[in-house]
Amino acid sequence: MKKNDIILIAITLVVALACFIGTRIWQKSNTDEDAVAVVTIDGDIYGEFPLSEDIVERIEFPDGSFNVLTVSEGYADVTEASCPDQICVHHNHIRYSGESIVCLPNKLVVEVKGGEDNGIDGSTY
Amino acid sequence: MKMKKLLPVLLPGILFLILIAGIITYRSVSEAAQLNRYTATFLDVFDTRTEIVGFAKDKDEFAKNAQLIKDELIRYNQLYDIYNDYPGVNNIKTINDNAGVAPVKVDPDIISLLEFSIDTYYETDGAVNVALGSVLSLWHKERMIGMDDPDRAALPDAEALKEASLHTDITDIVIDKENSTVYLADPDMSLDVGSTGKGYAVQRVLEYAREEGLDNILLSLGGNISCIGTRIDGTSFRLGIQNPDMDSDEQYVEMVDIGDGECVVSSGDYQRYYYVDGVRYCHIIDPKTLYPAGGFASVSVITDDSGLADSYSTALYTMSYEDGLSFVGKRDNVEAMWIMHDGTKRYSEGFIGKYVKK
Repeated sequence: MKKNDIILIAITLVVALACFIGTRIWQKSNTDEDAVAVVTIDGDIYGEFPLSEDIVERIEFPDGSFNVLTVSEGYADVTEASCPDQICVHHNHIRYSGESIVCLPNKLVVEVKGGEDNGIDGSTY
Repeated sequence: MKMKKLLPVLLPGILFLILIAGIITYRSVSEAAQLNRYTATFLDVFDTRTEIVGFAKDKDEFAKNAQLIKDELIRYNQLYDIYNDYPGVNNIKTINDNAGVAPVKVDPDIISLLEFSIDTYYETDGAVNVALGSVLSLWHKERMIGMDDPDRAALPDAEALKEASLHTDITDIVIDKENSTVYLADPDMSLDVGSTGKGYAVQRVLEYAREEGLDNILLSLGGNISCIGTRIDGTSFRLGIQNPDMDSDEQYVEMVDIGDGECVVSSGDYQRYYYVDGVRYCHIIDPKTLYPAGGFASVSVITDDSGLADSYSTALYTMSYEDGLSFVGKRDNVEAMWIMHDGTKRYSEGFIGKYVKK
């Protein structure tokens, strides 16, 4: 192998590596956001709560129904609710982007947006 | 001197390689930029949560595709509804309301669901019975009362259950395909398509979406999940199997990667249930005992037809593990995972190899 061949290979590798790293950084800077729990009621946004701040939010409905959203130690959870099935309360607490807790009777959805992704597109329940 | 000779040869080569590297980079960046991942969630069909995952240039394009799917789901929801009437629509409730009275003219999509459900009844040796409505409604009523007010929680009257079970003969569903009518010959029977309707609808809606040219779509209807194609980058859609232990930090007990047209459904006792005297009674009723099944925390089925996945998971939930394993083993392209009450997992032979990628 000639010296120039080695130079060629080296240059090619450096260019390829630079492209690869550049792309990765570009993608990362475009996707990384802080995780927030987005609460919607019947499709309308009620509020956004960063998972980095512990809060207890009581969400009340005109008919007296309610859900209690608790953000604690980086997790969002529905800890109390007026609905009879209590499926939202029984649900595991959530923290990964795309995970959600649903209360069908109150048409309430808590969904995590931004932050860490668990690489999952959906789940059974 | 060497350098001078080599340069004319090397320079085009280097430029060419830089060009290739540039194109590859541009493509990967622009593809990611042009086709974004979107999800649509709605709560107003089949009394459950629907989620659609797809890839599109922009929000509008995705919204159009999601709407196409949603419109079909709404149509099936109205047809397969057993609780509500819709103006100008004859549905399963209409058939029930006319039991012993008159044949009801219905959409061919109702007839095909009922034919599918009748086939499933024989295939599962009666474990999945859409003619079980009279029994299921007794349990449904008590479960609603018990969930609303635990102090009033009670089991249905045993005699009433026995009496209701006399009106669950699937051969009393009289289908006239030529005139597109359905008649229930027993006035006291009623249809409940809870174990087949959602899964069958998902299958049909995705077939329709495929015909309309949609690709790279994941559809979850209340946990009945199926897909067209893969993610946009060519990797498989990855799904979590819900942990039946809802207090656990681990929301999923397993991750499965499904291929084009494959479906996953879980049946379990961890979501819809009520307690009577400290005992948990879930919503899956074993037609043989007329009481809720409870042998497992959950059973998940993966196969290539969403309607079958839905009914097989219900059927397996009422069988013993050994019977279920043999049921699965006799069929091609069907795999299952059982989660026992102590949290241990059992798998059919090909489950891990085919679907669990570490």
